[in-house]
Amino acid sequence: MSWGSFLIIVGLCMLTILASRVIPLFVLKGRELPERAAQALGYIPPAAFAALVANDLFNLQGFSADPWHALIPCIAALPVIVVALKTKSLLWCIVVGVAVFGALLLTP
Amino acid sequence: MVFSRVSLHDLKQAFVAALPIVAGYVVLGIPCGILGVQAGMSVLQVVLMSLFFYSGAGQYLIPNLWMAGVPITSIVASVSLVNLRQILYAASMSRFSEGAGKRLSFLFAATMTDESFGINLGRFTAEGAQERWTVSRATLVNLFSLVTWILANAAGAILGSLLAVPTALASFAMTAIFICLLFMQRFTPPAIVAAVVAALGVCVCKLVGLSGPAILIGALLGIAAALIVGRKTPSPEHEGGEQ
Repeated sequence: MSWGSFLIIVGLCMLTILASRVIPLFVLKGRELPERAAQALGYIPPAAFAALVANDLFNLQGFSADPWHALIPCIAALPVIVVALKTKSLLWCIVVGVAVFGALLLTP
Repeated sequence: MVFSRVSLHDLKQAFVAALPIVAGYVVLGIPCGILGVQAGMSVLQVVLMSLFFYSGAGQYLIPNLWMAGVPITSIVASVSLVNLRQILYAASMSRFSEGAGKRLSFLFAATMTDESFGINLGRFTAEGAQERWTVSRATLVNLFSLVTWILANAAGAILGSLLAVPTALASFAMTAIFICLLFMQRFTPPAIVAAVVAALGVCVCKLVGLSGPAILIGALLGIAAALIVGRKTPSPEHEGGEQ
């Protein structure tokens, strides 16, 4: 990654996360957030993580070019979901996901 | 001075409180560093990102989107949206930091993560504790976690520059992280609506050729749909949120 791209991406992301972390602490001074705002913020994690997973698994060009290859991430996602629900451990999800995904890649 | 009078006792209390986070960040920081290098970052860039940006989900997200060829504006917008959840943590911590100095409060707020928020909230609200939890100690917990995160990322980045991980594997490791983060959520009915609509929104965006902003548009649609559903069903308590 070039330093130009790095500074723009990480610099801007740093500014937005710093604002999210610091401003409410000083502005609210112990008062509560408006209820609808707190609700909307609470919906960010399920919506954002579902969007990220869908973005990774739904590979349009892959589905038409090489359907089996494009399906591998979708198949490997299933055991990861089971592990996620059972262990809630990010590390176990990486280990199981990469192992299953790697094994499927090796199949002809 | 940022801190006023930090005793050895404070350091010890904070370190004990931070231990579970420290263990977790070693385990998560190393693969994060490896993936950053696989996405084309240098070891120095990974370290700087860990110090100044300091976000687990965000630091998995940036390499993931970068490798997928997502435009820079969409990367920044998507990462910023995911990190808006920090507003909830800062809001709920504001009542504990009222007596603390401005600089200490700033440092405390700026170094908060999902995990250190959880630990510190537990200490601040502990019933029957022998001594009060202070902003100084809470900030020390944050700093122990931050230092661990930087060191683990640096170790991962060095490791990652020595070994060649196939791009497809590295990319799926990040997908596995997002799947885990998704299924760690508390699935109230509006949260399920948020997730389903967001996922469908992403697929539709990609079908019509909007692959760059797909994540952002999908997530915003999901949040909007959840708010509409949540308005009809009375909420028993705080919805969503992590842990």
